Amino acid sequence: MPEEPRIGVFICHCGLNIAGVIDINELVEYARKLPNVVYVKENRYTCADPGQEEIRKGIEEYNLNRVIVAACSPRMHEPTFRRCIAEAGLNPYVFEMANIREFSSWCHPSTPKEATEKAKEIIKMAVAKARLLQSLDTIEVPVTNKAMVLGGGIAGISAALDLAGMGFKVYLVERGESIGGHMAQLDKTFPTLDCSICIEGPKMVDVSRHPNIEIISYADLLTVEGYVGNFKVKIRKNPRYVIAENCTGCGECRDVCPLEYPNEWDENMGVRKAISVPFDQAVPLVYTINMDHCIECYKCVDACGARQAINFDHQKKSNLKSEPS
Amino acid sequence: MPMKLLKTETENQLVVKRILHAKCYSLTLDKALCTGCGICKEICPREAIEVKTVPKVEGDKARPPTIDVSEEKCHYCGICESICPFGALKVTVDGEHVIPVIKSESFPQLLREIEVDTTKCDVDCVDCEEACPLNLITVTVQTPDGKEVKDVKSRPDKEKLKVNVEIKKALCPCCHLCEVKCPEGAIRVRKIFHGIIQINREKCPEDCQDCLDVCPIPGALYLSEKDGKVHVNELFCVYCGACKIVCPVEEALEFRRTLVRHTPVRSGAWNKALEKLTSTEEMTKELRAKGSAKAQESIKKRFAGSVS
Repeated sequence: MPEEPRIGVFICHCGLNIAGVIDINELVEYARKLPNVVYVKENRYTCADPGQEEIRKGIEEYNLNRVIVAACSPRMHEPTFRRCIAEAGLNPYVFEMANIREFSSWCHPSTPKEATEKAKEIIKMAVAKARLLQSLDTIEVPVTNKAMVLGGGIAGISAALDLAGMGFKVYLVERGESIGGHMAQLDKTFPTLDCSICIEGPKMVDVSRHPNIEIISYADLLTVEGYVGNFKVKIRKNPRYVIAENCTGCGECRDVCPLEYPNEWDENMGVRKAISVPFDQAVPLVYTINMDHCIECYKCVDACGARQAINFDHQKKSNLKSEPS
Repeated sequence: MPMKLLKTETENQLVVKRILHAKCYSLTLDKALCTGCGICKEICPREAIEVKTVPKVEGDKARPPTIDVSEEKCHYCGICESICPFGALKVTVDGEHVIPVIKSESFPQLLREIEVDTTKCDVDCVDCEEACPLNLITVTVQTPDGKEVKDVKSRPDKEKLKVNVEIKKALCPCCHLCEVKCPEGAIRVRKIFHGIIQINREKCPEDCQDCLDVCPIPGALYLSEKDGKVHVNELFCVYCGACKIVCPVEEALEFRRTLVRHTPVRSGAWNKALEKLTSTEEMTKELRAKGSAKAQESIKKRFAGSVS
């Protein structure tokens, strides 16, 4: 039988950050009336030493088993207060934070009345949640020492290169036929006004040559399962109808292909062939047949000849990969 | 928007266009030439062509089906233009008449074998010109030095005059009528499509002659005085299949193609198209014939090599 919750609420002025807008006394009165709340205390700076001391004292005197701090964002001080209540002998996970600074006083400075009402609601929600909190144990789990980067634009390329440079195996997953993303479409980029592909092209080649990076292009992300450090990701490789290992990127197939269709890569300004690459610097440099436009005349097969890179029997393939944090 | 897809329809033509910054494609259907036979629809790889039957007005003749092209789906490959026996479709790229699949040798052209031996022609005779149901033949008479003669009858030097028969081959479905009507046997025509067309007397409904009404070739179908029903004369049939589309009763009209005469080609797209136009059996027949011809050739080559 779980013990009856005894909740302590500590409301922080944060100097004038909160108290300058919100009526703290009203909040204190309101919080007292909430279910299972046995102790309410206001502080000028709850995160400072005197404030933390108040929390430890409150826990001891009022035998608190849940603690709420109504102050700033949990990204700021949640670890601080968890440590604080752990020092007072509580499990660090029976702590809850009510963010009345970023969510109320900071964003509604000109309407103090409404801001106070909102802060009440936020505290009410925190109390409702605190009543359901349970003690948790910290456990350690193994981490897969590999990374997956989704999206092969310039951001994905940079992330993949950085991770790979640190020695992690990286899977770079790209939906399109080539990595490069929007930067490959641009003419010049600020501030050097160098041509965009002149900056990105070498990075794209670095990615393709890096021993720690595996590019999975022309692929769709189907599912992501698992948790931080132990993801299971399902990816579908779409058929190119060209065998990547055999394709030399010579472009002889493109020259004989009769069909042209608007090229999405240059925003339909120009055309590309039914077997082609979206742009000349594509990485990986593997041609792709667009079956929506191919009439299967097999001229490309003839042109490819002994290289035998074209295979009209390609199917969609699903692969499982795992990924860490 | 960088890309525009347009469709404009007038009384005489239907034009679909794909306009890009760098290129402009168009496909034009000449309604005066189109018979609504739907061969183009059958082999369009994008299924961009639709055949619409025209509802029959009571007491009126049946009207040929019409063709509609989707500007969304068409990718201007030109397969429809290469197969149309009546030459009703035309593809242009940047205003120039180009058939992409022909240019890249991905598709064959129909073989229209029409031979005219004008030395046999009588200078007074214009029978072929009159016989052509599509008005594709123009007969002119010229003096030996190339001047055109209008009043042939009043000329004393008839023996010296030269007859010139001009045929718009690209629009000719090769029906044979001119060959049959020629009194001198000066014209020889080989059909493009071969096939089988039969009317099932029991299923063919009374008082219906829709097939006859839409047939572009007079004489290929005719109304028999004996039983008042439509009969077939395969001599003139071009196997376009317009009749099959308008026939209201299933199985009343048996129609299939067995052969398409075309320029030699090695293309998967053609094999697919041929299968749709004829049947899987006929397509395999052609493939086998091609295979054995190739084998024969290589044997010949090897034989020639060993002799020398």
